Amino acid sequence: MKKICLLALLFCALSPIGDNAAQAALRVDIYGPGQNIVNLALAAPLNSSRGEATGMGRDLQRLVEQNLGFLPFVRLTDPKSVLGGTVLAGYEPPSIDFKRFQLAGSDIVVTCYWPEGDSGTRSVQLRAFETNTGGRLFGKEYTRVSSSELPEVADRFCADLLEALTGSGAFFRSTLAFVKKTGTMSANVWLVKPTGRDLRQITNMPGEALSPSWSPDGRFVVFSHIDPKSHALGVWDSGSKKVQRIRFPGNVVIGPAFMPDNKVAVALSNGKYPVIFLLNHVFQKERILEGGDSINVSPTFDSTGTKMAFTSSRMGGPQIFLKDLRSGAVTRVSKNGTYNTEANLSPDGTLVVFSRMTDYGHRIFVQDMVTGMERQITYGPGSDEQPSFCGDSYFIAFASSRGGGRGIYLTTRHGGEPKQVPTGGGGQAAFPRWSAAVK
Amino acid sequence: MKRYALILTLVMALAAGFGCAKKSADGAYDDGLTPEMRAAIQQITDARVYFAFDKFDIKSEYKDMLKNKADLMKRYSTIRVRIEGNCDERGTQEYNLALGERRARAAYEYLVTLGVNPGQLEMISYGKENPAVQGKGESAWSKNRRDDFRVVAH
Repeated sequence: MKKICLLALLFCALSPIGDNAAQAALRVDIYGPGQNIVNLALAAPLNSSRGEATGMGRDLQRLVEQNLGFLPFVRLTDPKSVLGGTVLAGYEPPSIDFKRFQLAGSDIVVTCYWPEGDSGTRSVQLRAFETNTGGRLFGKEYTRVSSSELPEVADRFCADLLEALTGSGAFFRSTLAFVKKTGTMSANVWLVKPTGRDLRQITNMPGEALSPSWSPDGRFVVFSHIDPKSHALGVWDSGSKKVQRIRFPGNVVIGPAFMPDNKVAVALSNGKYPVIFLLNHVFQKERILEGGDSINVSPTFDSTGTKMAFTSSRMGGPQIFLKDLRSGAVTRVSKNGTYNTEANLSPDGTLVVFSRMTDYGHRIFVQDMVTGMERQITYGPGSDEQPSFCGDSYFIAFASSRGGGRGIYLTTRHGGEPKQVPTGGGGQAAFPRWSAAVK
Repeated sequence: MKRYALILTLVMALAAGFGCAKKSADGAYDDGLTPEMRAAIQQITDARVYFAFDKFDIKSEYKDMLKNKADLMKRYSTIRVRIEGNCDERGTQEYNLALGERRARAAYEYLVTLGVNPGQLEMISYGKENPAVQGKGESAWSKNRRDDFRVVAH
């Protein structure tokens, strides 16, 4: 209760600093073909006496640095390359010497000010400025901050900064659900921030959990659950912290996925082949979304809930298809390869990411639904599987055995060097799925 | 000392009395299985059906073996069998769960066609989550693309 009160105080007290903050001219186009790079410098944190803040100030700076390291379009300026150093006379113009950051090639400088000092429970102000114009991108004050709340402050500030630069701060506002396999037929569902923080196990059931999916409101995680006798739909409720195991007639419960209206689609038995059913709000069968004389599994939806990508064996081997749920029209998405599965539709509906079996293991590909172009975005080694789009339609999490054991990695719609999400060891991590962004 | 020896003798006698599958005078076992039924269960569970990659059709070489299982299940109508469909590690997990179900269903349908009461059968797919053998390469994969037959009641 005490913690809830503290958090409530902290986040109710978040406020933009100044009403006349200059709107940023600087934007980073992360979606276009030529992805920009933005050079960003972190000024040394200052305390009330305008000296360098070396307590919580330094810890917060380290956390912000770690966070920004996950953004492939942000290059952090080496403090040693800033002539005159990063300790400034003040935290806002005219006390900021922008020239030294311009000379170091920085596009943005972030200042951090602790008006009451940086030990105990204190307030902190964070601001971001464009170095060329001196204009403020934005500023935020976080009050009653204790050392245990610094990661939350770092995430919130980085989310706001990311949103100011790209239009979406979903990366730092989301939580990944994933499964950790600890033995044969033994796997449970875990949660972790994409930065590796707040790692926690949410189910503890004998048997194997697979394919977690978040409800859009963040209340539930559904998943397939297999024990030696049966398949079931697992439902974890974040309110009660309890798990319900729901059985259906037939033999399979495969790849559940929440739709934007909080209903679940899942592949269930229906005669000879599994078909994709829509369940109602109390997880009962409502109607068939896609079926036929072939395997149809792994539904995934855009943010409007009008497009559904799925895997089907209707043309022999497994391929990816897209169904317009308004017209009922189905089109084939994957055109190359003989084994394409695990589609995930970007929330904006423009891209389908999926895994393809190659001679060297599975690899991740992106199909652009606007241009019709396909692009490979991962190259192993090992197998890269189970891709999942973040709410920003930019970041992609996937499972890979490139490090020996299976782990969770991050890349983007453009590809690039994957970065591993720390998941704590003690098992094989797989099936990453993003929550909706929570502000 | 004498007392401990007496207790030990009693414990051993009790343990012998509770030995499982002990033969009675009429040749049956205490668990209710006759030697013939025990042999039938053995035959039903020992023989597996194997599949080609990404396929679920029953190869002709397994049809006699399934016919034998069907005959035994018809003869012993109290036997209930769970058919467990499995895949090798190469495919992806969700698709393999569906493929494993198709493999289990293929054997189920064949047995029912041969006259087995559907009430004696149940199915499950483990996808690639329950391999028979570990390892890479076709020799391991071919052993994992299979239907297992487990007697769950008799």
